[in-house]
Amino acid sequence: MVNVEELISWVLRTGVLSGVAITSIGFFTSAEIAWLGVLVLISTPFMRVIMAGAYFLSRKDLVYSALAAYVIMILVIGSFLRII
Amino acid sequence: MVVDRRCKVLKEMVGLEESLVPVAILAFGIFAGSLGAMLGLGGGVLMIIFLLLALNIPAHQAVALSLIAVIASSSMAGSVYIKDKMTNLKLAMVLEAFTVSGAVAGAFLALSLPVSAIQALLGCVLFYTSITMFRERETERFESSGCGSLEGEFYDEQACRTVKYDVKNLEIGAVASLIAGAVSGIVGIGGGVIKVPIMNIVMKIPIKAAAATSNFMVGVTAAASAVIYFQSGLVDLHLAAPTIMGIMIGAYMGTRLLAKSRSAVLRKVLAVVLAFFGMILLLKAGGILAW
Repeated sequence: MVNVEELISWVLRTGVLSGVAITSIGFFTSAEIAWLGVLVLISTPFMRVIMAGAYFLSRKDLVYSALAAYVIMILVIGSFLRII
Repeated sequence: MVVDRRCKVLKEMVGLEESLVPVAILAFGIFAGSLGAMLGLGGGVLMIIFLLLALNIPAHQAVALSLIAVIASSSMAGSVYIKDKMTNLKLAMVLEAFTVSGAVAGAFLALSLPVSAIQALLGCVLFYTSITMFRERETERFESSGCGSLEGEFYDEQACRTVKYDVKNLEIGAVASLIAGAVSGIVGIGGGVIKVPIMNIVMKIPIKAAAATSNFMVGVTAAASAVIYFQSGLVDLHLAAPTIMGIMIGAYMGTRLLAKSRSAVLRKVLAVVLAFFGMILLLKAGGILAW
């Protein structure tokens, strides 16, 4: 059985560190790379929610899977909306 | 390109040499990150004050940068807390449904709000934070009755025992989470200052578990509003790197350098400083003070 705490911890750490690394490279090179870095950083918590949702789904814990699905849905809707 | 335009704006507004702005942000980020880690305060509160008042960065851009910093620092801390089993994952998943809804609504609201409204709200948040920092933290023990589906437990290293607890008044926690999410999306803080006291006092969750669980939700809450600012082109890509870097280096140093027990005086000093800036922001929002 996968340890969900370890997995989430790994997702968060890897996501943030790569986001920071890419954004920093972008600082010295181009705005496009910095854009990618910020995108990776913002996506990190999304990945964490997906992981937690998948874990609860694998345990057939439907209430918490549904909660994760709701959060992901809100995040996706938000990411399609823009002002200006 | 957004960046080029922004740099010009910055130069005019700040009066600081363009190339020095990232350096200033990096330096302050280290300061804010370490102070935040020492006092258990997210770096967002300090970062947003600096970006708004010291650098005069336009409110929406400042909020966007602060949110990015908050994602980085809370995710990094969250990766440690969850491994130590301090986080109540199920409770976090229930409450984050509310914080995220609030965060999306808050970001939308913020983008149509006048700058003075954002300043006024931030001013109020700073006063509230200042008050909670003056208050002594709850040390009361909450015992679990063993019923309920959200109860949690964690190992308290200082007390050398496993602490079990029940979660009470979930509906009040849900409303508080919704409000905390909205405030987070408008003023660019994590929202822990609003949630933690309510989780502790009203929901009867021990402070350590409340802080860890709140921090865990902060990352996804900030991301939910940050993505809207990001899509609207309000994240300054040139200033993103020094902001994140500074906060992360600072948080790392803060956790290593100083024991939390020695920070009682520092806490009070910072509470006064936050109240001071809260006042300044309220005066600015009212048009009385041109900073």
